[in-house]
Amino acid sequence: MPKFFDKPQSASLAFMVAGAFWFVVGALYGMVSAIHLVSPEFFSNIPWLVFGRERPVHVNTMLYGFAGTMLIGSGLYYIPALLRTKLWSERLAWVSFFLWNITIASGPLCFAFGFTQGREYSEYVWSADIILILSVLLLVYNTAMTIASRTEEQLYVSVWYFMAAFLWTAGNYPLGNVIWHPATGAMPGLIDSLFLWFWGHNLPGLLITPLATGAAYFVIPRAAKMPLNSHTLSLLGFWLLIALYSHIGGHHVLQSPIPNWLKAVSIVDSVAMVVPVSIVVLNLWLTARRQGKAVWGDPAARLVMAGIAWYIVTCIQGPLQSLPYLQRVTHFNNWTIGHAHIAMLGFGGYIALGAMYHVLPLVTGRSLYSQKLVSLQFGLITFGLTGFFIVLTMAGLIQGNAWNNGETVYRVLPELAPYYISRAALGISILTGASVGFYNVVMTVLAGRELSIAELQQGEEAA
Amino acid sequence: MKMSPALLIVGALMVFWASTFIIVGLPAMTMKETPSAIWRPMAEDEREGHRLYVQNGCSYCHSLFIRINDWDIGAERIAESGDYVAQEPAILGSERTGPDLSQEGGEHPDDWHKAHFINPRFTSPISVMPSWEFLGEEKIRKLTAYVQALGWKQADVRVARQQHWKKSAVVAYEAGADANITWLHSQVPAVWRPMPNPYPATQAALLRGKRIYQEFCVNCHGPIGDGKGPAAAWVYPPPLNFTTLRRHLEANRYIGGIFYYQIMNGITGTGMPYFKKHLESEKIWDLANYLAVSFLGYTDANIEPRGIDASYEEDWRNPYHPPAKGGD
Repeated sequence: MPKFFDKPQSASLAFMVAGAFWFVVGALYGMVSAIHLVSPEFFSNIPWLVFGRERPVHVNTMLYGFAGTMLIGSGLYYIPALLRTKLWSERLAWVSFFLWNITIASGPLCFAFGFTQGREYSEYVWSADIILILSVLLLVYNTAMTIASRTEEQLYVSVWYFMAAFLWTAGNYPLGNVIWHPATGAMPGLIDSLFLWFWGHNLPGLLITPLATGAAYFVIPRAAKMPLNSHTLSLLGFWLLIALYSHIGGHHVLQSPIPNWLKAVSIVDSVAMVVPVSIVVLNLWLTARRQGKAVWGDPAARLVMAGIAWYIVTCIQGPLQSLPYLQRVTHFNNWTIGHAHIAMLGFGGYIALGAMYHVLPLVTGRSLYSQKLVSLQFGLITFGLTGFFIVLTMAGLIQGNAWNNGETVYRVLPELAPYYISRAALGISILTGASVGFYNVVMTVLAGRELSIAELQQGEEAA
Repeated sequence: MKMSPALLIVGALMVFWASTFIIVGLPAMTMKETPSAIWRPMAEDEREGHRLYVQNGCSYCHSLFIRINDWDIGAERIAESGDYVAQEPAILGSERTGPDLSQEGGEHPDDWHKAHFINPRFTSPISVMPSWEFLGEEKIRKLTAYVQALGWKQADVRVARQQHWKKSAVVAYEAGADANITWLHSQVPAVWRPMPNPYPATQAALLRGKRIYQEFCVNCHGPIGDGKGPAAAWVYPPPLNFTTLRRHLEANRYIGGIFYYQIMNGITGTGMPYFKKHLESEKIWDLANYLAVSFLGYTDANIEPRGIDASYEEDWRNPYHPPAKGGD
């Protein structure tokens, strides 16, 4: 058994398989939540399957469990590969793996029975918070030591993002979760919403975004077989991300009585986020310039590229939403739910999946069980997510405009039914996509065709 | 510029913590917890109810702050920072699948809340809120205590008003069906009582009224208007049986104005909420015609005294005759 934990890249594989599994779990909870919005008495009066308890399971399992876990998995492969060394400690990475997944599992196990801190994106109970922070600290240490033992002089941009994601999260997570108040995980009074949304926004921004960006910077040049377009642009994108993103959590409570100067800062920096996002997107697109066939023809790279497309959509929408005038209509309703889905599943999720499929053969020494199933999964989640985005945005506009014109929340409910029904139907497509993906990953590990040494070397050196 | 490990680690941490200082540190040092005019501390039951609110994810569908552009319940008071003192956590919320609850206290009497927690459809037929019956009586009581406290001192005023009028409503109900209606009518201002429904009870109007009835009223007053909907078992006094109104027309002719006023304003102290925020004028008149025609077999629509007919009205003559004295 110990030998198993020392096997190179075994922790990377474990993270990726776990991520694929959590995607299915998260999608299942999402599906039931969607059904409950259509038919609240479906599975009625089941304590562990009531909307208020299943929704946080869905959200946290998707964020931390699917996107987060899977992206860490691919990172644990590309970090040593880019530094031309071995991961400093495979065993330590396994410890991170177990700790991280204990926290994810605490979602379905605890929330369902009312053990939650109840603050959005910070629901995990205090002990699970501590376990997750330990896992992150170990990842910081492991990554730093791997960098220290590198044989490649240059630090590639993916390495910055991977390293920084954990450096930031190690500070971010305990602050946003108000770790020094174990009972509630919250500050008293209005100021809590600032702590909450500091992490609430930095979770996508300073954990998922750098991990996904790092993965995209790894996959796209390799798939396009082109050197990175510009080193300077990647530097700019990186430093602007951290300088701007960390300021914008306030736009989640823009219409609440928080201090005006905080509102101003959050709006200005939200709008400014267009800059680092465009830089990253342009840098990657220019890298793949004239290599469209190679990128879109490769099912794994296609997912990454589509993820970047969702990124630019999300990050144009986000700044617009932060404008107070627009937010009168877009806040508090399904518009935001649509936005959250294209950000987390579209940007984070697509890139996580793409990077995983790209890395999986290199980690397992086996070719993917089925490229067709990757394409099928792409089709299913693209259909589902595009539909989600359209349907939820429409529902949100109906709600927002109706409320703004004086209709009550209750009065608008019947108008939402067709959209809720469509959303649940589209959810089937995403759930199927998640399941197909998990099946493909498991079959690759168990029964993928073993690659020859020559094929493997070719794959690894494509960088 | 070349990225070295030292630059990466030190730089990333420096920028991050500088930003954090601005966004979290400065507010922590400068924001003061000063109670607003309406703030008061929570009582023990209310605090326990607040824990239940947090643990059961109520905040995923209900917000706790009123914005300047809101019209729904609570819109009379825009949130102030001092409303949240000492609440831990004060979850402002990010979604309104259900209404904002920051001023919910005293909007309804306790028994309405009990019925609503057991099955939200009992009181609100098209609600998509889950049933919370599984929580059990004790927890539902505590949740109710918390919800009734929302709005703090202003909620206390509203709750006291509910309790005050509940006493009179119960006395009237227990005095018998006819005495009850006499009391109910006496609570409608005199100028509204001899007022006919000014709009024709056309087929189209009655269908619109029916739709409103089914979305708002049916689970208390029942599909045949006898007051025996599923909520009737939970609220006291129970919902009105409309059919008995036939023998209580004002001056043996008028009921439209009484219906309009009671639907608009509700009957504070009972499970009957006000609907003025949900329904605008035409919907209430249509509903009043639907109630009258369906459950009283008579409507006073368009009878004298009347003004000039509205331009859209067809030439509609009221075919209903007032009942013989005594109603039957």
